[in-house]
Amino acid sequence: MERAEVSDAHVLDDDVVREVLTAALAGGASFAEIYAETRRGRGVGLDDGRVEDLVSGLDQGAGIRLTLGKQTAYVSTNVLTRAALVEAAELAAAGLRGSERAQVADLSTRQPERTHPAAQDPFAADGVALAELVRRAEDAARSHDPSVRQVTVRYADIDQALFLANSEGHRHTEQRVRTRLVVQVVAARDGEIQTGYQGPGGAVGHELFDDHPPEKVGAEAARKAVLMLDAEPAPAGELTVVLGPGSGGVLFHEACGHGMEADFVAKDSTVYAGRRGERIGSQLVSGVDDATDPGGWGSYSFDDEGAPAQRTVLFEEGVCTDYLTDRLRAIELDLPRSGNGRRESYAHLPIPRMSNTYILPGDEDPQAILDDMGSGLYCEELGGGQVEPASGDFVFGVAVGWLVEAGELVRPVRGANLVGDGPTVLARVDAVGSDFDVRQGVCGKEGQGVPAGLGNPTLRIDRITVGGTGS
Amino acid sequence: MNDLQALLDQVLERAETGEGLEVFGLDETETTVSAREAAVESLTSARTRGVGMRVVNDGRVGYASTADLSETALGETLEQARTNARVTSPDEANVLAEPAEPEPLPGLYEPDAETVAAEFKVDLALELEAAAASAAPPIRGVDVARYGDALTTAAIASTTGVRAAYRRSDAYVLVEVLAERDDATMSAYGLAMARRPHALDVRAAADEAVQRATRIVGGSKPDSAKMVVIFDPFVTASFLGVLASALTAEAVQRGRSLFAEKVGERLGPEHLTLIDDGRHPDGPASAPWDGEGVPTGRTRLLDAGVLRGFLHNTYTANRGDTTSTGNASRAGYKGPPGLSPTNLYLEPGSRSQSELLREVGTAFYCQQVMGLHSGANPVTGDFSVGAAGAMVRDGAFAEPVREVTVAGTIPTILEGITAVGADLRFLPFGGGMGGLTLVVEGMTLAGA
Repeated sequence: MERAEVSDAHVLDDDVVREVLTAALAGGASFAEIYAETRRGRGVGLDDGRVEDLVSGLDQGAGIRLTLGKQTAYVSTNVLTRAALVEAAELAAAGLRGSERAQVADLSTRQPERTHPAAQDPFAADGVALAELVRRAEDAARSHDPSVRQVTVRYADIDQALFLANSEGHRHTEQRVRTRLVVQVVAARDGEIQTGYQGPGGAVGHELFDDHPPEKVGAEAARKAVLMLDAEPAPAGELTVVLGPGSGGVLFHEACGHGMEADFVAKDSTVYAGRRGERIGSQLVSGVDDATDPGGWGSYSFDDEGAPAQRTVLFEEGVCTDYLTDRLRAIELDLPRSGNGRRESYAHLPIPRMSNTYILPGDEDPQAILDDMGSGLYCEELGGGQVEPASGDFVFGVAVGWLVEAGELVRPVRGANLVGDGPTVLARVDAVGSDFDVRQGVCGKEGQGVPAGLGNPTLRIDRITVGGTGS
Repeated sequence: MNDLQALLDQVLERAETGEGLEVFGLDETETTVSAREAAVESLTSARTRGVGMRVVNDGRVGYASTADLSETALGETLEQARTNARVTSPDEANVLAEPAEPEPLPGLYEPDAETVAAEFKVDLALELEAAAASAAPPIRGVDVARYGDALTTAAIASTTGVRAAYRRSDAYVLVEVLAERDDATMSAYGLAMARRPHALDVRAAADEAVQRATRIVGGSKPDSAKMVVIFDPFVTASFLGVLASALTAEAVQRGRSLFAEKVGERLGPEHLTLIDDGRHPDGPASAPWDGEGVPTGRTRLLDAGVLRGFLHNTYTANRGDTTSTGNASRAGYKGPPGLSPTNLYLEPGSRSQSELLREVGTAFYCQQVMGLHSGANPVTGDFSVGAAGAMVRDGAFAEPVREVTVAGTIPTILEGITAVGADLRFLPFGGGMGGLTLVVEGMTLAGA
């Protein structure tokens, strides 16, 4: 699995690539690129005790991109004949009129510095084996507690074979395999209904289940749902909040990571624009975007325009350090390419995106952080979140939260929301634990969804607005 | 359209005796033009075709899709769907829809949308950007100025005799502007939609974005209080999206709706009538038939405040011993039909937004909500979301407000709706949601 096993349709012949790129450059652009892919994927859905769906898909297509200065033309098609590709190239050329006379350089294949091979090919498991897998997760969730009413299990795998070549002579292939298992549980008791969720995944094959056996995933989701049955309404107001390991990654992703994406920086529509070198956060906070994390949910070998994956420091001891760039934004802002040009598929333009965004662990004992906090809120799990990049304002639901009094978890609370803005939260971090954990998300931006890894140690924020319905 | 249907017919011929097979095909061309600093930033065109096959044998369903339309790939895909159908659990409610003759939907496809020159689309994007960029302070920039369109052909054929196809044309402009006041920046957007590019009001979209950004920039946190909240039409549309997920028969049958067992009960005041209309002439989700070929229709979910029923596809209708409301949905060709609202809206009242503001006097005007997917729970009814907007004082917009949480429960919000505005307009939020102004009493505002 070191080298991508791609079918013939997707390692395009040099002469086809040359013809397509030459036709594309005929309109006077300075750069042309072709990105082609084939992806096979499966999804299994279990609900109400029944394996309801088993869905298989084969998708393929190519996108041809031209750039000239800040302008881009992009045409995609899922017809992969030579004639259709040349036609797409001509259509792109017509959309971008320039006077450059760029030539297609000799193509040479780039080898990746790091790969994320699947140790256990997911496609070696047939439909029957997958049905068994989701049932194991369900059984564990159901047997966890009599209050468990509904269990939904979703399994998904994907095997993506990529090919990319550009007029500068770059050519590479990559194979990306991802596997994920998601369990959702509804528990009910005395008219009270709560939900729990657990969804591990990675750029891995079925070795995912060595660390995350389906039984454990099912039981964890059930534990959270059942726990929240005893929850009382969360207090509202300004509180001290501790984010448990893994739970706060989504907050950092939304409120700090997006604002470090260079397209927002180029448009001056983020609070972090023009602030490199400035201390924004507490000295305790260092954060990175790391596409090289072995098997990480958001990891890859090359980004989707051919730059090698790398680890980029976003915040070094609270100082705003490096932005996440794609090819265009690196040129525009005169910054290095950070390997963050990603796209959802051949039908999408690459744009700056995070890969795995992690707050790095510190050296404090997580238990001591809690012991010292006095009263406030402990977030074991955040729900989804949203941010306004212009202001950094965010909101996150607290899926599993605890009321803390005198450093003790007193009782679970529901309906809490964290409301604030990125720079303020970074500045108010007053303790960072030595532990660390990750979560997996699908990040949406400009209508494109890509897998994004999230991670953090135990973090304490000395005060933040908590919206709740209690008093 | 005929090519696609012929392709589906070919696949259908491969069905074995006694086998249930439904084939769905999609052929879509989408174009976008983005403008920035008076120049074209990007022009994209995407052509996507594909076929999905659903096999139903003895109540077991298997699904497979392919973008490769060669005979070999189509054959392999059908074989894969059959293999998948051997693994899933049987359920007698799994049957293919019966054929019915859908009424055509005039105006869904504007033939001249197909021949619009790329230059015209580029001009619309540039005009949009220029209109927004020329706005006075506090507007300081344009974040997004985009023109987009789609030409869609959809077709379906099945062994039960369903055979239908339609074409649809859509065009839109979307603009997002940045406003700055007292070192704080906020963004807001405006949009316009039509069946053909020529009908888009670019100026109105730009004005809307400018007005919305100006209204909320430079806000501060208010004190926590219980007060009247006015939902902006965009917020109402998002709120309907939350309600919708509890109003499908799927959510009810699976115990995931707070409205289960509530049919016939009063959920809100008499001026609350909620309709799902898959054929509304202005609706972004309109189509002559749904994701299974069942004719679309008009379903009253709340009638004068009383819950009348839920949305169904063929599967939930069989389980619930009723008939489909034509709400089987397709998110492309890659997956089996689901169940979603089409164009969901509250029957508009008689008063304009400014009349409602004057009547209320003092309120929080909630223009943006954040964190809806985690903060609003259609199972438990909990509702707590972040918001930005402006205070309303003496019946007019006053100081902006940000970083505030608006909380209540879905039932108390419905009960607390004291007025519904006349300003109905469909927005493309998860299908087509009807935006209009709502006055809601009894919510909690958490600020400083």
